[in-house]
Amino acid sequence: MVEALIKRNLKTHPQLNFPDYKSSLLRAPKNKKISFSSTSTEISGPVFNKNILGKLDNDLTLNFSKNNILPVGHKIIVFGTISDQFANPIEGALIEIWQANAAGKYLHHNDSNTAPIDPNFAGCGRYITSSKGYYEFITIQPGPYPYQNRGIEWRPMHIHFSVFGKSFGQRLITQMYFEGDPLINSCPMVNSIPDEKAKQSLISTLDTSRYNTQKLLSYKFDIILRGTNQTFFENRKEGL
Amino acid sequence: MSDIKTVLDETPFQTAGPFLHIGCLPNAINIEGVFDNDLGVKPFANQHNDKFITITGSVFDGDGKALDDIMLETWQSDENGVYSPESGFARFVPNSLTKKFNLYTLKPGFINNIDGKTQSPHILLSISSRGLNMTLNTRIYFEGDDLNNDPLLSTAKNSRNDVSSLVAKKIDEDIYLFDIFLQGDKETIFLDI
Ligand SMILES: [Fe+3]
Repeated sequence: MVEALIKRNLKTHPQLNFPDYKSSLLRAPKNKKISFSSTSTEISGPVFNKNILGKLDNDLTLNFSKNNILPVGHKIIVFGTISDQFANPIEGALIEIWQANAAGKYLHHNDSNTAPIDPNFAGCGRYITSSKGYYEFITIQPGPYPYQNRGIEWRPMHIHFSVFGKSFGQRLITQMYFEGDPLINSCPMVNSIPDEKAKQSLISTLDTSRYNTQKLLSYKFDIILRGTNQTFFENRKEGL
Repeated sequence: MSDIKTVLDETPFQTAGPFLHIGCLPNAINIEGVFDNDLGVKPFANQHNDKFITITGSVFDGDGKALDDIMLETWQSDENGVYSPESGFARFVPNSLTKKFNLYTLKPGFINNIDGKTQSPHILLSISSRGLNMTLNTRIYFEGDDLNNDPLLSTAKNSRNDVSSLVAKKIDEDIYLFDIFLQGDKETIFLDI
Protein backbone atom coordinates (compact mmCIF):
# COMPACT_ATOMS: atom_id res chain seq x y z
CA MET A 1 0.00 0.00 0.00
CA VAL A 2 1.23 3.51 -0.79
CA GLU A 3 0.74 6.85 0.99
CA ALA A 4 -2.14 9.25 0.47
CA LEU A 5 -2.58 10.55 -3.08
CA ILE A 6 -1.94 14.19 -3.83
CA LYS A 7 -5.05 16.20 -4.61
CA ARG A 8 -6.30 16.02 -8.17
CA ASN A 9 -6.00 19.31 -10.09
CA LEU A 10 -9.40 19.45 -11.82
CA LYS A 11 -8.25 22.35 -14.05
CA THR A 12 -6.16 19.93 -16.10
CA HIS A 13 -9.18 17.63 -16.62
CA PRO A 14 -12.26 17.99 -18.85
CA GLN A 15 -15.40 19.72 -17.63
CA LEU A 16 -18.22 17.26 -16.97
CA ASN A 17 -20.89 19.73 -18.10
CA PHE A 18 -19.83 20.62 -21.63
CA PRO A 19 -22.83 21.43 -23.87
CA ASP A 20 -20.77 21.21 -27.11
CA TYR A 21 -20.60 17.48 -26.33
CA LYS A 22 -24.31 16.73 -26.41
CA SER A 23 -24.19 13.36 -24.65
CA SER A 24 -22.96 15.17 -21.52
CA LEU A 25 -26.24 17.10 -21.19
CA LEU A 26 -28.28 14.29 -19.63
CA ARG A 27 -25.41 12.44 -17.95
CA ALA A 28 -23.08 14.95 -16.28
CA PRO A 29 -24.03 15.54 -12.62
CA LYS A 30 -24.86 19.17 -11.76
CA ASN A 31 -23.60 19.25 -8.18
CA LYS A 32 -19.98 19.69 -7.19
CA LYS A 33 -18.08 16.56 -6.25
CA ILE A 34 -17.23 16.11 -2.58
CA SER A 35 -13.50 16.47 -1.86
CA PHE A 36 -11.82 14.63 0.99
CA SER A 37 -8.36 13.41 1.91
CA SER A 38 -7.75 9.93 0.56
CA THR A 39 -8.51 6.96 2.78
CA SER A 40 -7.24 3.40 2.68
CA THR A 41 -10.02 2.73 0.14
CA GLU A 42 -8.61 4.95 -2.62
CA ILE A 43 -4.98 4.31 -1.71
CA SER A 44 -5.31 0.57 -2.20
CA GLY A 45 -6.31 -1.00 -5.49
CA PRO A 46 -6.29 -4.17 -7.55
CA VAL A 47 -2.94 -5.24 -8.98
CA PHE A 48 -2.89 -7.54 -11.98
CA ASN A 49 -0.43 -10.35 -12.50
CA LYS A 50 1.37 -10.78 -15.84
CA ASN A 51 0.06 -14.35 -15.96
CA ILE A 52 -3.36 -13.00 -17.08
CA LEU A 53 -1.77 -11.95 -20.38
CA GLY A 54 -1.74 -14.05 -23.53
CA LYS A 55 1.17 -13.82 -25.97
CA LEU A 56 -0.70 -11.69 -28.49
CA ASP A 57 -2.63 -9.48 -26.07
CA ASN A 58 -0.63 -6.40 -27.13
CA ASP A 59 -0.53 -7.23 -30.85
CA LEU A 60 -3.90 -6.15 -32.27
CA THR A 61 -2.80 -7.08 -35.80
CA LEU A 62 -2.64 -10.77 -34.82
CA ASN A 63 -4.86 -11.31 -31.77
CA PHE A 64 -8.08 -11.64 -33.83
CA SER A 65 -6.69 -12.59 -37.25
CA LYS A 66 -8.10 -15.66 -39.00
CA ASN A 67 -5.72 -17.96 -40.89
CA ASN A 68 -2.89 -15.43 -40.39
CA ILE A 69 -4.58 -12.82 -42.58
CA LEU A 70 -3.57 -9.36 -41.39
CA PRO A 71 -6.18 -6.66 -40.81
CA VAL A 72 -6.44 -3.92 -43.44
CA GLY A 73 -4.58 -0.66 -42.82
CA HIS A 74 -1.23 0.75 -41.74
CA LYS A 75 0.52 -1.29 -39.10
CA ILE A 76 1.88 0.99 -36.38
CA ILE A 77 3.59 0.81 -32.99
CA VAL A 78 2.19 2.75 -30.06
CA PHE A 79 4.56 2.91 -27.10
CA GLY A 80 5.55 4.99 -24.10
CA THR A 81 5.95 4.98 -20.35
CA ILE A 82 3.67 5.25 -17.36
CA SER A 83 5.00 7.31 -14.48
CA ASP A 84 3.63 9.26 -11.53
CA GLN A 85 3.56 13.04 -11.08
CA PHE A 86 7.13 12.96 -9.74
CA ALA A 87 8.41 11.10 -12.84
CA ASN A 88 8.81 7.78 -11.01
CA PRO A 89 8.10 4.96 -13.50
CA ILE A 90 5.21 2.68 -12.51
CA GLU A 91 5.90 -1.01 -12.94
CA GLY A 92 3.01 -3.46 -13.15
CA ALA A 93 0.40 -0.96 -14.40
CA LEU A 94 -2.34 -2.57 -16.50
CA ILE A 95 -3.19 -0.79 -19.76
CA GLU A 96 -6.24 -1.81 -21.77
CA ILE A 97 -6.88 -0.20 -25.15
CA TRP A 98 -9.73 -0.22 -27.67
CA GLN A 99 -10.14 1.41 -31.05
CA ALA A 100 -11.89 1.52 -34.41
CA ASN A 101 -10.45 -0.32 -37.41
CA ALA A 102 -8.79 1.39 -40.39
CA ALA A 103 -12.24 2.29 -41.81
CA GLY A 104 -13.35 3.93 -38.55
CA LYS A 105 -15.67 1.07 -37.50
CA TYR A 106 -15.84 -0.53 -34.04
CA LEU A 107 -16.62 -4.20 -33.55
CA HIS A 108 -19.59 -3.33 -31.31
CA HIS A 109 -23.35 -3.86 -31.61
CA ASN A 110 -23.97 -0.17 -30.81
CA ASP A 111 -21.81 1.18 -33.65
CA SER A 112 -24.23 2.38 -36.33
CA ASN A 113 -21.50 3.71 -38.64
CA THR A 114 -21.91 2.17 -42.12
CA ALA A 115 -18.15 1.56 -42.62
CA PRO A 116 -17.15 -2.13 -42.94
CA ILE A 117 -16.11 -4.44 -40.11
CA ASP A 118 -12.68 -6.01 -40.57
CA PRO A 119 -13.07 -9.75 -39.83
CA ASN A 120 -9.44 -9.90 -38.72
CA PHE A 121 -9.54 -7.00 -36.28
CA ALA A 122 -11.25 -6.84 -32.87
CA GLY A 123 -9.61 -3.61 -31.72
CA CYS A 124 -8.74 -4.61 -28.16
CA GLY A 125 -5.37 -5.07 -26.51
CA ARG A 126 -3.77 -5.05 -23.08
CA TYR A 127 -0.34 -4.93 -21.50
CA ILE A 128 1.30 -4.72 -18.06
CA THR A 129 4.19 -2.26 -17.80
CA SER A 130 7.80 -3.42 -17.30
CA SER A 131 10.16 -2.27 -14.51
CA LYS A 132 10.82 1.02 -16.30
CA GLY A 133 7.08 1.70 -16.73
CA TYR A 134 7.39 0.86 -20.44
CA TYR A 135 4.55 -0.39 -22.63
CA GLU A 136 4.12 -1.19 -26.32
CA PHE A 137 1.28 -2.13 -28.66
CA ILE A 138 1.35 -3.20 -32.29
CA THR A 139 -1.84 -2.19 -34.01
CA ILE A 140 -3.52 -0.66 -37.09
CA GLN A 141 -3.85 3.09 -37.56
CA PRO A 142 -7.49 3.75 -36.55
CA GLY A 143 -9.64 5.70 -39.01
CA PRO A 144 -11.57 8.85 -38.06
CA TYR A 145 -15.34 8.29 -37.84
CA PRO A 146 -18.60 10.25 -37.99
CA TYR A 147 -20.97 10.45 -35.03
CA GLN A 148 -24.14 12.31 -34.14
CA ASN A 149 -23.46 15.39 -32.01
CA ARG A 150 -24.46 18.90 -33.16
CA GLY A 151 -25.38 17.24 -36.45
CA ILE A 152 -22.86 14.82 -37.91
CA GLU A 153 -19.33 15.49 -36.69
CA TRP A 154 -16.08 13.57 -37.08
CA ARG A 155 -13.90 12.23 -34.31
CA PRO A 156 -10.17 12.62 -34.87
CA MET A 157 -8.21 9.35 -35.07
CA HIS A 158 -7.80 8.04 -31.54
CA ILE A 159 -7.14 5.06 -29.30
CA HIS A 160 -9.00 4.67 -25.98
CA PHE A 161 -6.82 3.88 -22.94
CA SER A 162 -7.81 2.49 -19.54
CA VAL A 163 -5.05 2.40 -16.91
CA PHE A 164 -4.74 0.86 -13.43
CA GLY A 165 -1.77 1.97 -11.31
CA LYS A 166 -1.32 0.74 -7.73
CA SER A 167 -4.21 2.69 -6.18
CA PHE A 168 -7.83 2.87 -7.25
CA GLY A 169 -7.41 6.66 -6.92
CA GLN A 170 -4.87 6.54 -9.77
CA ARG A 171 -7.37 4.95 -12.14
CA LEU A 172 -7.47 6.76 -15.49
CA ILE A 173 -9.56 6.45 -18.65
CA THR A 174 -8.46 8.64 -21.55
CA GLN A 175 -7.86 8.83 -25.31
CA MET A 176 -4.67 9.19 -27.33
CA TYR A 177 -4.66 11.31 -30.50
CA PHE A 178 -2.20 11.45 -33.41
CA GLU A 179 0.20 14.31 -34.14
CA GLY A 180 -0.90 16.39 -37.12
CA ASP A 181 -4.53 15.22 -37.28
CA PRO A 182 -6.55 18.25 -38.49
CA LEU A 183 -9.71 17.00 -36.71
CA ILE A 184 -8.25 17.42 -33.20
CA ASN A 185 -8.80 21.17 -32.91
CA SER A 186 -12.55 21.08 -33.50
CA CYS A 187 -13.26 18.00 -31.35
CA PRO A 188 -15.60 18.89 -28.45
CA MET A 189 -14.30 16.02 -26.33
CA VAL A 190 -10.75 17.36 -26.63
CA ASN A 191 -11.99 20.92 -26.11
CA SER A 192 -13.82 19.97 -22.90
CA ILE A 193 -10.32 20.26 -21.34
CA PRO A 194 -9.85 23.99 -20.62
CA ASP A 195 -6.07 23.83 -20.19
CA GLU A 196 -4.14 24.02 -23.48
CA LYS A 197 -1.06 22.19 -22.21
CA ALA A 198 -3.21 19.37 -20.82
CA LYS A 199 -4.93 19.05 -24.20
CA GLN A 200 -1.59 18.80 -26.00
CA SER A 201 -0.47 16.04 -23.63
CA LEU A 202 -3.05 13.70 -25.22
CA ILE A 203 -1.46 13.99 -28.68
CA SER A 204 1.10 11.27 -29.39
CA THR A 205 4.19 12.19 -31.36
CA LEU A 206 5.64 10.44 -34.39
CA ASP A 207 8.91 8.84 -33.33
CA THR A 208 11.21 8.65 -36.33
CA SER A 209 14.07 6.92 -34.48
CA ARG A 210 11.83 3.93 -33.95
CA TYR A 211 10.78 4.11 -37.60
CA ASN A 212 14.39 3.60 -38.70
CA THR A 213 14.87 0.38 -36.75
CA GLN A 214 11.40 -1.18 -36.94
CA LYS A 215 10.26 -0.01 -40.40
CA LEU A 216 6.93 0.83 -38.82
CA LEU A 217 5.43 4.23 -38.07
CA SER A 218 5.74 4.58 -34.31
CA TYR A 219 3.84 6.90 -32.01
CA LYS A 220 5.00 7.79 -28.49
CA PHE A 221 2.41 8.46 -25.79
CA ASP A 222 3.57 8.91 -22.19
CA ILE A 223 1.01 8.74 -19.39
CA ILE A 224 1.22 10.37 -15.98
CA LEU A 225 -0.83 8.98 -13.08
CA ARG A 226 -1.36 10.68 -9.73
CA GLY A 227 1.57 10.87 -7.31
CA THR A 228 1.51 10.19 -3.59
CA ASN A 229 2.44 12.29 -0.58
CA GLN A 230 5.17 9.80 0.21
CA THR A 231 7.14 10.63 -2.91
CA PHE A 232 6.30 14.30 -2.43
CA PHE A 233 7.91 14.33 1.01
CA GLU A 234 10.86 12.22 -0.10
CA ASN A 235 11.56 14.64 -2.89
CA ARG A 236 11.15 17.62 -0.63
CA LYS A 237 13.66 16.25 1.83
CA GLU A 238 16.17 15.88 -0.98
CA GLY A 239 15.73 19.50 -1.89
CA LEU A 240 16.31 20.89 1.60
CA MET B 1 22.33 18.86 -4.24
CA SER B 2 19.19 17.98 -6.11
CA ASP B 3 16.28 20.33 -6.55
CA ILE B 4 12.71 19.79 -5.45
CA LYS B 5 11.15 17.77 -8.24
CA THR B 6 8.39 19.51 -10.15
CA VAL B 7 4.92 18.09 -9.79
CA LEU B 8 3.91 17.04 -13.29
CA ASP B 9 0.31 17.37 -14.46
CA GLU B 10 -1.70 14.17 -14.40
CA THR B 11 -2.77 12.97 -17.86
CA PRO B 12 -6.32 14.28 -18.41
CA PHE B 13 -9.37 12.03 -18.58
CA GLN B 14 -11.45 11.64 -21.73
CA THR B 15 -14.83 9.99 -22.07
CA ALA B 16 -14.75 6.20 -22.26
CA GLY B 17 -17.30 6.49 -25.10
CA PRO B 18 -20.04 3.99 -26.00
CA PHE B 19 -17.68 1.18 -27.06
CA LEU B 20 -15.59 0.72 -23.89
CA HIS B 21 -16.71 -2.90 -23.59
CA ILE B 22 -14.42 -3.82 -26.50
CA GLY B 23 -11.37 -3.07 -24.38
CA CYS B 24 -12.67 -3.79 -20.88
CA LEU B 25 -15.23 -6.60 -21.24
CA PRO B 26 -14.76 -8.08 -24.73
CA ASN B 27 -16.15 -11.53 -23.87
CA ALA B 28 -19.31 -9.90 -22.50
CA ILE B 29 -20.05 -8.48 -25.99
CA ASN B 30 -19.14 -11.73 -27.75
CA ILE B 31 -15.62 -10.79 -28.83
CA GLU B 32 -14.27 -14.20 -28.01
CA GLY B 33 -10.82 -15.72 -28.37
CA VAL B 34 -8.77 -12.59 -27.71
CA PHE B 35 -8.58 -12.59 -23.89
CA ASP B 36 -9.19 -15.82 -21.95
CA ASN B 37 -11.35 -14.06 -19.37
CA ASP B 38 -12.81 -10.63 -18.75
CA LEU B 39 -11.32 -9.08 -15.63
CA GLY B 40 -13.41 -8.57 -12.49
CA VAL B 41 -16.10 -11.14 -13.28
CA LYS B 42 -15.79 -12.44 -9.71
CA PRO B 43 -14.51 -10.05 -7.02
CA PHE B 44 -13.66 -12.91 -4.62
CA ALA B 45 -12.96 -15.97 -6.74
CA ASN B 46 -11.86 -18.16 -3.83
CA GLN B 47 -14.82 -17.49 -1.56
CA HIS B 48 -17.91 -19.62 -1.25
CA ASN B 49 -21.14 -18.35 -2.83
CA ASP B 50 -23.18 -18.75 0.35
CA LYS B 51 -21.22 -15.91 1.95
CA PHE B 52 -22.23 -13.41 -0.73
CA ILE B 53 -24.70 -10.56 -0.63
CA THR B 54 -26.43 -9.15 -3.72
CA ILE B 55 -26.37 -5.46 -4.58
CA THR B 56 -28.78 -4.54 -7.34
CA GLY B 57 -29.82 -1.26 -8.94
CA SER B 58 -29.91 0.92 -12.05
CA VAL B 59 -28.12 4.05 -13.26
CA PHE B 60 -30.57 6.77 -14.37
CA ASP B 61 -29.83 9.74 -16.64
CA GLY B 62 -31.43 13.22 -16.38
CA ASP B 63 -34.56 11.98 -18.20
CA GLY B 64 -35.01 9.16 -15.70
CA LYS B 65 -33.97 6.60 -18.29
CA ALA B 66 -32.10 3.54 -16.97
CA LEU B 67 -28.83 3.15 -18.87
CA ASP B 68 -27.24 -0.02 -20.20
CA ASP B 69 -24.36 1.28 -22.37
CA ILE B 70 -22.13 1.93 -19.37
CA MET B 71 -19.48 0.14 -17.31
CA LEU B 72 -19.46 -0.14 -13.52
CA GLU B 73 -16.40 -1.01 -11.45
CA THR B 74 -16.20 -1.67 -7.72
CA TRP B 75 -13.33 -1.91 -5.26
CA GLN B 76 -13.75 -3.13 -1.70
CA SER B 77 -12.27 -4.85 1.34
CA ASP B 78 -13.07 -8.37 2.47
CA GLU B 79 -15.45 -9.17 5.36
CA ASN B 80 -12.69 -8.30 7.86
CA GLY B 81 -12.09 -4.84 6.40
CA VAL B 82 -8.81 -5.83 4.77
CA TYR B 83 -7.82 -4.65 1.28
CA SER B 84 -5.69 -7.00 -0.77
CA PRO B 85 -4.48 -6.37 -4.35
CA GLU B 86 -5.56 -9.86 -5.53
CA SER B 87 -9.26 -9.61 -4.73
CA GLY B 88 -12.14 -7.19 -4.23
CA PHE B 89 -12.31 -5.73 -7.75
CA ALA B 90 -15.40 -6.22 -9.93
CA ARG B 91 -16.47 -4.99 -13.33
CA PHE B 92 -19.99 -5.34 -14.74
CA VAL B 93 -22.70 -3.87 -16.96
CA PRO B 94 -26.46 -3.57 -16.42
CA ASN B 95 -28.59 -6.27 -18.03
CA SER B 96 -29.72 -4.99 -21.46
CA LEU B 97 -33.35 -6.06 -20.90
CA THR B 98 -33.95 -5.22 -17.22
CA LYS B 99 -31.37 -2.35 -17.13
CA LYS B 100 -30.41 -3.61 -13.67
CA PHE B 101 -26.95 -4.54 -12.47
CA ASN B 102 -26.29 -7.31 -9.97
CA LEU B 103 -23.13 -7.50 -7.91
CA TYR B 104 -22.56 -10.71 -5.95
CA THR B 105 -19.89 -10.08 -3.38
CA LEU B 106 -18.76 -10.25 0.25
CA LYS B 107 -20.20 -7.68 2.59
CA PRO B 108 -17.15 -5.54 3.48
CA GLY B 109 -16.17 -5.12 7.14
CA PHE B 110 -15.26 -2.04 9.21
CA ILE B 111 -11.98 -0.66 7.89
CA ASN B 112 -9.01 0.77 9.81
CA ASN B 113 -8.10 3.99 8.06
CA ILE B 114 -4.56 5.39 7.68
CA ASP B 115 -5.39 8.20 10.14
CA GLY B 116 -6.27 5.72 12.89
CA LYS B 117 -10.04 6.24 12.52
CA THR B 118 -12.52 3.55 11.54
CA GLN B 119 -14.48 3.65 8.30
CA SER B 120 -17.93 2.08 8.11
CA PRO B 121 -18.26 -0.84 5.66
CA HIS B 122 -18.49 0.47 2.09
CA ILE B 123 -17.70 -0.26 -1.54
CA LEU B 124 -16.12 2.26 -3.94
CA LEU B 125 -18.14 2.36 -7.18
CA SER B 126 -17.08 4.00 -10.44
CA ILE B 127 -19.14 4.67 -13.56
CA SER B 128 -17.66 5.17 -17.03
CA SER B 129 -19.71 5.88 -20.15
CA ARG B 130 -20.44 7.96 -23.19
CA GLY B 131 -21.34 11.48 -22.08
CA LEU B 132 -19.13 11.35 -19.00
CA ASN B 133 -15.92 13.28 -19.68
CA MET B 134 -14.48 11.80 -16.49
CA THR B 135 -15.22 8.56 -14.68
CA LEU B 136 -17.60 9.22 -11.75
CA ASN B 137 -16.92 7.81 -8.30
CA THR B 138 -19.25 7.23 -5.39
CA ARG B 139 -19.53 4.89 -2.38
CA ILE B 140 -22.05 2.26 -1.36
CA TYR B 141 -22.70 2.11 2.40
CA PHE B 142 -25.24 -0.30 3.92
CA GLU B 143 -28.50 0.32 5.72
CA GLY B 144 -28.37 -1.29 9.16
CA ASP B 145 -24.65 -0.60 9.76
CA ASP B 146 -23.37 2.00 12.22
CA LEU B 147 -22.73 5.00 9.95
CA ASN B 148 -22.23 7.63 12.66
CA ASN B 149 -18.44 7.82 12.84
CA ASP B 150 -17.44 7.39 9.22
CA PRO B 151 -14.97 10.13 8.12
CA LEU B 152 -16.24 10.41 4.52
CA LEU B 153 -19.91 10.53 5.52
CA SER B 154 -19.07 13.26 8.05
CA THR B 155 -17.29 15.29 5.36
CA ALA B 156 -20.23 14.81 2.98
CA LYS B 157 -22.70 15.94 5.67
CA ASN B 158 -20.79 19.23 5.96
CA SER B 159 -21.76 20.18 2.40
CA ARG B 160 -25.03 18.24 1.84
CA ASN B 161 -27.99 17.82 4.16
CA ASP B 162 -28.93 14.47 2.79
CA VAL B 163 -26.34 11.74 2.31
CA SER B 164 -28.87 8.93 1.87
CA SER B 165 -27.87 8.53 -1.80
CA LEU B 166 -24.70 6.86 -0.49
CA VAL B 167 -26.58 4.20 1.50
CA ALA B 168 -27.89 0.98 -0.08
CA LYS B 169 -31.34 -0.05 1.16
CA LYS B 170 -31.83 -3.48 2.58
CA ILE B 171 -34.72 -4.98 0.59
CA ASP B 172 -34.39 -8.59 1.72
CA GLU B 173 -32.08 -10.89 3.63
CA ASP B 174 -28.62 -10.26 2.06
CA ILE B 175 -30.11 -8.20 -0.79
CA TYR B 176 -29.48 -4.47 -1.10
CA LEU B 177 -30.81 -1.86 -3.56
CA PHE B 178 -28.51 0.92 -4.76
CA ASP B 179 -29.93 3.11 -7.54
CA ILE B 180 -27.73 5.86 -8.98
CA PHE B 181 -29.11 9.15 -10.30
CA LEU B 182 -26.75 11.13 -12.52
CA GLN B 183 -28.95 14.26 -12.35
CA GLY B 184 -32.15 15.68 -10.88
CA ASP B 185 -33.75 15.97 -7.42
CA LYS B 186 -32.27 12.66 -6.36
CA GLU B 187 -28.80 13.26 -7.85
CA THR B 188 -26.31 10.88 -6.24
CA ILE B 189 -23.37 12.36 -4.33
CA PHE B 190 -20.18 11.90 -6.37
CA LEU B 191 -16.69 12.04 -4.94
CA ASP B 192 -13.46 13.73 -6.00
CA ILE B 193 -11.35 10.73 -4.96
FE1 LIG C 1 -13.87 6.22 -29.98
